[in-house]
Amino acid sequence: MRRIFQIGGEETECWLAHDGSRFVLNTPEGVLPCRLDPTTSPGGFVLRARGLVRDVRLAAGPESTFVHMDGRTYEVGRADPAERLAGSDGGASDDRIVAPMPGVVVSVAVKPGDIVAAGQPLLVIESMKLETTLAAPRDGVVAEIPFAAGDSFGLKDVLAQLAPEED
Amino acid sequence: MTISKLLVANRGEIAARVLRTAKARGLETAVLRHASEQEGPAHVIADEVVTIDGPTPVAAYLDIPQIVEVAKRIGADAVHPGYGFLSENAGFVAALEKAGVTFVGPTSDVIDLMGDKVRARAFVEERGFPVAPSAIEDDGPATFIERARAVGYPLLIKPSAGGGGKGMRVVRADAALEAEIEAARREGKRYFGDGRLFVERYIERPRHIEVQVMGDGKGNVVHFWERECSIQRRFQKIIEETPSPALSPEQRLDICETAAGIARAVNYRGAGTVEFICAQDGTFYFLEMNTRLQVEHPVTEMVTGFDLVAEQLRIATGEGLSAAQADIPQTGHSIELRICAEDATADFRPSIGNILLLDEPRGEGVRVDSGILDGGKVTTDFDPMLSKLIVHGSDRAQAIARARHAVQNYVILGVTTNTGYLDAILAHPDFASGDVSTGFLAEQADALTAPGENVDDLLMAVAALSDERLVAEVMQISDMHRKMGGWRN
Repeated sequence: MRRIFQIGGEETECWLAHDGSRFVLNTPEGVLPCRLDPTTSPGGFVLRARGLVRDVRLAAGPESTFVHMDGRTYEVGRADPAERLAGSDGGASDDRIVAPMPGVVVSVAVKPGDIVAAGQPLLVIESMKLETTLAAPRDGVVAEIPFAAGDSFGLKDVLAQLAPEED
Repeated sequence: MTISKLLVANRGEIAARVLRTAKARGLETAVLRHASEQEGPAHVIADEVVTIDGPTPVAAYLDIPQIVEVAKRIGADAVHPGYGFLSENAGFVAALEKAGVTFVGPTSDVIDLMGDKVRARAFVEERGFPVAPSAIEDDGPATFIERARAVGYPLLIKPSAGGGGKGMRVVRADAALEAEIEAARREGKRYFGDGRLFVERYIERPRHIEVQVMGDGKGNVVHFWERECSIQRRFQKIIEETPSPALSPEQRLDICETAAGIARAVNYRGAGTVEFICAQDGTFYFLEMNTRLQVEHPVTEMVTGFDLVAEQLRIATGEGLSAAQADIPQTGHSIELRICAEDATADFRPSIGNILLLDEPRGEGVRVDSGILDGGKVTTDFDPMLSKLIVHGSDRAQAIARARHAVQNYVILGVTTNTGYLDAILAHPDFASGDVSTGFLAEQADALTAPGENVDDLLMAVAALSDERLVAEVMQISDMHRKMGGWRN
């Protein structure tokens, strides 16, 4: 079964298999037999792979797995390639306005169903004490504004979505 | 006078820290909470949690009438302001006084004086304490160049209206002075619409060293030794320690006695910190005085053995200081690390998220002052500092080793933190030798954020094997193959 993993902004597609006695992760770099056994600590596991034995602590969020290993903390994003394909609907990337950094919505100028022109302000956000106006990337119809004024949002959250362009 | 019920007008780790001491002293305690705020350690410790409101959470904590009203309504006879928010607000002190509530801190006139950087500097200079040589053009434009020359080289020219380093010029030789003044004036006009200038002695590779003082308001002032705070990024301290690795015993005594002298000159009451800028040769100049408890006060507690909040409360009730100067030791070495929700590899962008797993380090000489709970949520409503990790060792090398071990074993999963960055600073040879200045983090930025050994394959294995849905699907296929006879166990 396939998964796309994201580490430090780089994506790698892998597939996991079980050969009847052990798990094998197939990466573009090669084949990695591996096993993960729980310990008694909260979120604690022992990883055995590449001839190494590592104590890890982990916690899985909805889109990423956070891993503490050898004194460092890592975030590994996870995506299912099948779902990503199904969810994309062929929609263009300029349908969405994605948060460049975490912050708070100051005001919202439009609502779903509104017809907007390229460059028209959609909402004002505040991040790191700076106010920024986010404008429509193209002419279109507002499909969704997921946050209201006063709401906090995270990095890469979708702040506005336009309806897909019809051919 | 006694205090029976204390309201802590703050939040996060400092509210929890103050409440612990107040409870240990048998006081009834209360703390504030904004409606949108997650439950934190302070809300668990306090006897009473009072909800406050405001257009933003920060605005609520700055709302003087509301907080004074809360103190009166719940019958608190004293308020501890923590740091930040209203801790250095003379209007807050006056409003509490009017309401008959004790402010745990200095008098409003001292807060006013020290809050005005120009007046504070003049006050300190008039009483014979060292301030960096300087010249202000406005004091006499006709004699400005002459007075600038008297400051001595190297000197720094700054636009009076400036900020953020714009228009600042370093002059190292007299021949360049007049031309540089004209250039700085043009830049000041361009950036700020104001060409007036200010000149001060430029200190190469400065250190930031501060001294903890405490006064009873009756003329008794003691110091609790210095803290070295040169590890800063954009004027924000992130690692503090005591003793400073830079001072000789004579320099240490000199700077600490100077700080106590400044506090004595204002008949200081409560806990305060006198900040100095230090040249590499040990010459030091007054920068400012903070009239409150500092974020980094725990390192002082670790080496002196005193509870500074307990001393603050004693002073507020008129009991006075529990120790004379000779009774205040400086034993071993202590280091504090500020654990922040930010991404050191992405220009320190604040990060938010849910805390999915929290496991704080423990062990000999390890203290954690935390503002978060497992399962909590980190938002951008407040400062990104989540907690402070403080260690003590018999000497600096042991303290560094303990700090590294503790920060490596501080597990915070679900939000990006600076623990790896802090460890990289502790591991840097210049930090180990103590050869740092306030420019250290900027100069070493690339080395400190360099990626470690590539373990991407191990991380992907962990993410794959802990993905229950993925594992279930894989096992189903494997099982199917076995049933088909393709595999034998």
